[in-house]
Amino acid sequence: MSNHEKEPMFSARNLKLLTGPIGTNNPITIQVLGICSALAVTVKLKPALVMALSVTIVVAISNVVIAAMRKYIPDRIRIIVQLVVIATLVILVDQFLKAYAFDVSKQLSVFVGLIITNCIIMGRLEAFAMANKPWASFIDGLGNGAGYGLILIIVAFFREFLGSGTIYGYPVMQKLGIYSLGYENNGMMILPPMALIVVGLIIWYQRSKDRTLIENK
Amino acid sequence: MENLLNIFIKSIFVDNMVFAFFLGMCSYLAVSKTVKTSMGLGIAVIFVLLITVPVDFMIEKYVLRKGALIWLGEGFGDVDLSFLTFMVFIAVIAAMVQLVEMVIEKFSSSLYNSLGIFLPLIAVNCAILGASLFMQEREYENVVEATVFGLGSGVGWLLAIVGIAAIREKLKYSNVPDPLKGLGITFILTGLMAIGFMGFMGIKL
Amino acid sequence: MKEFSNRYIFIFSSIMVIAVATLLSLAATVLQPRQLKNLEIEKKKSMLESIGIPSIRESTESLYDKYINESFVLNSKGEVVDGVAAFPVELALEQKKPLEQQYLPVFLASTDTGEKVTIIPVQGKGLWGPIYGYVSLKPDMNTIYGVTFDHKGETPGLGAEINTSSFEGMFPGKQLYNGEKFVSIGVVKGGTKPGDIHGVDAISGGTITSKALEKMLKDCIVKYNDYLLKNRNQI
Repeated sequence: MSNHEKEPMFSARNLKLLTGPIGTNNPITIQVLGICSALAVTVKLKPALVMALSVTIVVAISNVVIAAMRKYIPDRIRIIVQLVVIATLVILVDQFLKAYAFDVSKQLSVFVGLIITNCIIMGRLEAFAMANKPWASFIDGLGNGAGYGLILIIVAFFREFLGSGTIYGYPVMQKLGIYSLGYENNGMMILPPMALIVVGLIIWYQRSKDRTLIENK
Repeated sequence: MENLLNIFIKSIFVDNMVFAFFLGMCSYLAVSKTVKTSMGLGIAVIFVLLITVPVDFMIEKYVLRKGALIWLGEGFGDVDLSFLTFMVFIAVIAAMVQLVEMVIEKFSSSLYNSLGIFLPLIAVNCAILGASLFMQEREYENVVEATVFGLGSGVGWLLAIVGIAAIREKLKYSNVPDPLKGLGITFILTGLMAIGFMGFMGIKL
Repeated sequence: MKEFSNRYIFIFSSIMVIAVATLLSLAATVLQPRQLKNLEIEKKKSMLESIGIPSIRESTESLYDKYINESFVLNSKGEVVDGVAAFPVELALEQKKPLEQQYLPVFLASTDTGEKVTIIPVQGKGLWGPIYGYVSLKPDMNTIYGVTFDHKGETPGLGAEINTSSFEGMFPGKQLYNGEKFVSIGVVKGGTKPGDIHGVDAISGGTITSKALEKMLKDCIVKYNDYLLKNRNQI
């Protein structure tokens, strides 16, 4: 690619950066990153959404910051600089949540802080932002955040719907009158093990659909 | 003493870092292909936790918490540095991991080589930061309780990763459906192990 | 990669540290008032919950002012301590002091029916972290009017159930005293006998948290013993 040509903002390559991680390069199911929080906060949809949004913001902005600074960061302190940038953004997000979304921040508790160690962010910084321009890095960050968010929403949807009978707090099961038929909330869904199994099933589904993703040992 | 034993046993089995809180999953999934490397990583994790949790406890108590700086003088009683918690904790962890890395490189270069990139990755292992954050949230009375918690969490993590590694080694001889091979089946297995560990919830000491 | 001199690294790091510190301190200072307000509203919300009044963020303060009209602080002998406001008192800190120096807050509320209800805060240690809440009493200073409990890190589905209406709903109507003797409320594993006015059922699988709650109620409310006996049916 010629150095004199400035790549258009919404080129095909950039679009792929956005859509790739949502499907075939999904950070959770393919890259195996960001698992921890994906499982922990998906008991209900609301915290899952807030988490997905927070992670997307942190990964996109840290990508931009590091990409903008990439030529000036000494290699010796590279990891520390990355960590400092990530930690700063996470602290800002955490402070903001405590001020404007207090209930959710209580539900997320330590997992907001754990965004710092969310491997997706560090992973994208190393794999992409250190070697690419700011705008492309921003898109890459958005894409990965979206891919992560998608899995979170799917898992949270099933866990909340089957485990509490509600969707985003709205008592769907109750309204549909299913309880009167003798149905009871699947309490297991609220507990940790089911999160793991649901993600396992999502992976199974994804790889059955796209057989190129299968790991063959 | 009874309380300490309680904390220790509970943090290994009932509030297992992997099965109850999903911390440290990334390295857990990536390194658990053989029992040997899993053991090595698990021990490194325990070691890092043993140092970072008590150190973070002291920093939290004497520097970060609201009113903690009162030992500097009366005027500092209102200072609340808790917003710096994440920064300070992760700095301590990064420094400790660097130290552990140097120690392992000196004493066992074979372990150092087999762990490869995962050694520095302990720094971003959510289990390490998570343990310190949980310790802060649970407001332990003193540094001994906090240390026991750190130790127990590490042991719990080691148990989890060695356990799944052992199963995965045997799994090579089973007929796993293609789309489930590798990552998928590991997730489901971990879920089943988590259900098993839930059986410990009723422990009474 | 270009070789960076040590001097460069030093300057780079210093600039980073200053920039980050400034940014974070700024954010923390700007956002702090609202964060403190959130904590205040949460406290008020819990107290309203303990007397059965639900509220949302916007309505909490006006509802609080409407229903809860008096508050004061007692010492361990049950005497009112002048000049100390009840609302800012943090039980967790008070409990670290020797008993004679502890401040015991009391809040008085009037319900829609004109009944005067007394609210007492409680604080204790759960299985994994602090548990706390408010207990409200009818004018006889004996029968429970309502309760609300919360926790910081109990196990979801087990200990965390102390926060649910099904658990809290067992308390209204139970009594703290057997005549003049303070017996508190027991949280009984395996369930209480029918008609037991001094006990509620423990949470299955959440025995330790349940027992911790029982201890919390006993240890906290017994400090108010002199005051409760003296003011029975007085308000």
